[in-house]
Amino acid sequence: MRLLLVEDEPGIQGFLRRSLGEAGYQVEAAADAATAERMAIDTYHDGLIVDLGLPDRDGISLILRLRELGLTSPVLILSARRSVDDRVRGLEQGGDDYLTKPFALAELLARLRNLLKRNNSSPTMEPTRLRVLDIELDLLRREASRGGETLNLTPQEFVLLEYLCRNAGRVVTRSMILDEVWGMRIQPDTNVVDVHIYRLRGKVDTDGQGPRIRTLRGIGYVLRDR
Amino acid sequence: MAKVPEFEPCAVLDMFSGTARPIMQSAAWRISLWAALAFACGTMVVFVFLHQFVAGDIQRRTNAWLAGEAGVLSDVASRTPKDALNRRVVREVAELASREVPHKRGSGPGPNDSVFFLQTAADGSVSLWVGAGDVNAHLAAVRAGNLAPEKPTTLHVDGFDPPFRVVSVKMENGSKIYLGLSERDELRVLRELRIRFVLLWLLIVLIGSAIVFYSTRRVLGHIREITEAASRIGENDLSSRVPTTRRNDEVAQLAITLNRMLDRIEKTIHQLHTITGSLTHDIRSPLTAVRARLEMALTAGKEEGSESIVSAIEDMDRLTEFLDKSLDVAEAKANALRINRVPIDLDELLRVMIDLYEPGMSEKGLSIQLCSAGPLEVHADAALLHRMIANLFDNEAKHLPPSCTVRISLSGSDEAASLVIEDNGPGFDSEISAHLFERRIKGRNSSGHGLGLAFVDAVVRAHGGTIEASNRGEGGARLALILPRSAQLTDSRAPSMTFATAATSSSLS
Repeated sequence: MRLLLVEDEPGIQGFLRRSLGEAGYQVEAAADAATAERMAIDTYHDGLIVDLGLPDRDGISLILRLRELGLTSPVLILSARRSVDDRVRGLEQGGDDYLTKPFALAELLARLRNLLKRNNSSPTMEPTRLRVLDIELDLLRREASRGGETLNLTPQEFVLLEYLCRNAGRVVTRSMILDEVWGMRIQPDTNVVDVHIYRLRGKVDTDGQGPRIRTLRGIGYVLRDR
Repeated sequence: MAKVPEFEPCAVLDMFSGTARPIMQSAAWRISLWAALAFACGTMVVFVFLHQFVAGDIQRRTNAWLAGEAGVLSDVASRTPKDALNRRVVREVAELASREVPHKRGSGPGPNDSVFFLQTAADGSVSLWVGAGDVNAHLAAVRAGNLAPEKPTTLHVDGFDPPFRVVSVKMENGSKIYLGLSERDELRVLRELRIRFVLLWLLIVLIGSAIVFYSTRRVLGHIREITEAASRIGENDLSSRVPTTRRNDEVAQLAITLNRMLDRIEKTIHQLHTITGSLTHDIRSPLTAVRARLEMALTAGKEEGSESIVSAIEDMDRLTEFLDKSLDVAEAKANALRINRVPIDLDELLRVMIDLYEPGMSEKGLSIQLCSAGPLEVHADAALLHRMIANLFDNEAKHLPPSCTVRISLSGSDEAASLVIEDNGPGFDSEISAHLFERRIKGRNSSGHGLGLAFVDAVVRAHGGTIEASNRGEGGARLALILPRSAQLTDSRAPSMTFATAATSSSLS
């Protein structure tokens, strides 16, 4: 997949190019809006990552300009402001997403993945069962089992496990979990998410079976798929 | 703990109602009342003078007529010989005189009752009588009146309602002539004058005060429009202006001045946004770069040093959160917080929050209860409200000692939602209680950067609500929040932060 990265900060640009490259994307980068506009017209990109604070122009006006020119690819907005303004909200409703700086790479990758998936999603049937190794989720009956043994989960724990399973093998951060499972973009001062994960782990990773939910300190959690 | 805490929503919510005040309380009503009173008094004084003048003039004319006729009659009486002819001549002269004045019963037969002529002999007996009614009554009145000669005097005669104006002339032979003219017509004229005046006066005062009322109301209506528009211009709507009129009067000047002031405020707020915007950008970009490098180093996979990298990342995340909150609090204190109101069910939000926080709190031995009467929708900024409630929960989770209970009560009226968070912990520290909602205030044993309640206060304030902190009588802290349910109910009346009671206890910032 081809991505266009519009970011003027050389350090962040380099890091993102490298990380996105490692994640399997082909990345073209621009450091200002004018270059980005030209590149977007010249080549098709599956997705764009646009920083709002560009030296020559506001990132929003660049996105709006490209949309006028017929750009349909999804855009991930990088904002330096926590409280996003109405124009970003408008774009968010239009299918784009935003991420505030500083961000965790895992979150950027996850949001990017969601955006790209959303864009080329053909209306396929949502699977009613989810399976990651020996963990199996029945999405209709809201039941989970591991190795054939039913797990006694609360509805919230089920949603949390479902989210981890859908992102099996990939890192999810605390703020991603808060956003996806509880629907809130907050940063609690206390370790609320850790306690939920700890409880879930207590039910999923019982003795005698290999641990599935792994903590990546400073980054987040990952559900092993190998 | 099953008891729902008592508070009086009505008393608290009064401040959100009452835009339509009764007409009796309006300034227009007062002004027109005073104007009407002043006008009524002034015209009344003028009328009293006028009335006096007219009454005096009528009496002067009456007196002149009486003096003239009495002179003629005494002349006739003294000149004509004392016989039957004398009586006839005098009677005819007297009747002739009486015809000059209006007759009560028109020109009908019978003597004229508005004039009488009485001649008494020297011994006081009646020698000649021309007039209506009983002669003895007149004689008695005349005698009782003790009239000075040739000086008209007002006398009351039995059987006649209006008094008579009577003049007496003393003849050379000792007899006296009395000529009386009823004051009936004079009084009638004056009465009609008074009636007409009172009717016209009432009409003029009513019309005048109505005109004053409506004109002042129009002027004050412009002022009210300005007031309403100005109060509508909240922190998230600085672009609109108060209405101006084409006239160049005081009200228009007021509107223009207000608009100029709003221009300046908008410019200042815009500058503040620009400064905070560039500031955050300038801080966040390097933060992002540093975080990125740390993440790269962490995923490079070397075990040694990973612990310190992890804590560096965690410190950076805390720094970011601190930066966010500081800016939000600063913006809110400057009334510059951008608010995007959407409908939010507070009941549902609290349940989700409790679901999120409950495991973490029960880990610490804390329990949490919700008393709610069901769904309660408010129009508020979702992101700010989420973070505000998370702050409240964090605050309780961080500062309560084990085995305490947090009780959250949600209730609402048509205008506002009331959220009360109570615990049975040690309560607020008396040292910091007065500065609870200020920045960087925290208890001695508190961790964190002390922005939590300042942020809560900022968000509540930005939504036009109030927050009150107190220590419960039975021990523990109590935070009471009132949030207007929609933006229309928000007004500029400044929310007050108060600390009700101070008790000695340990920290809870």
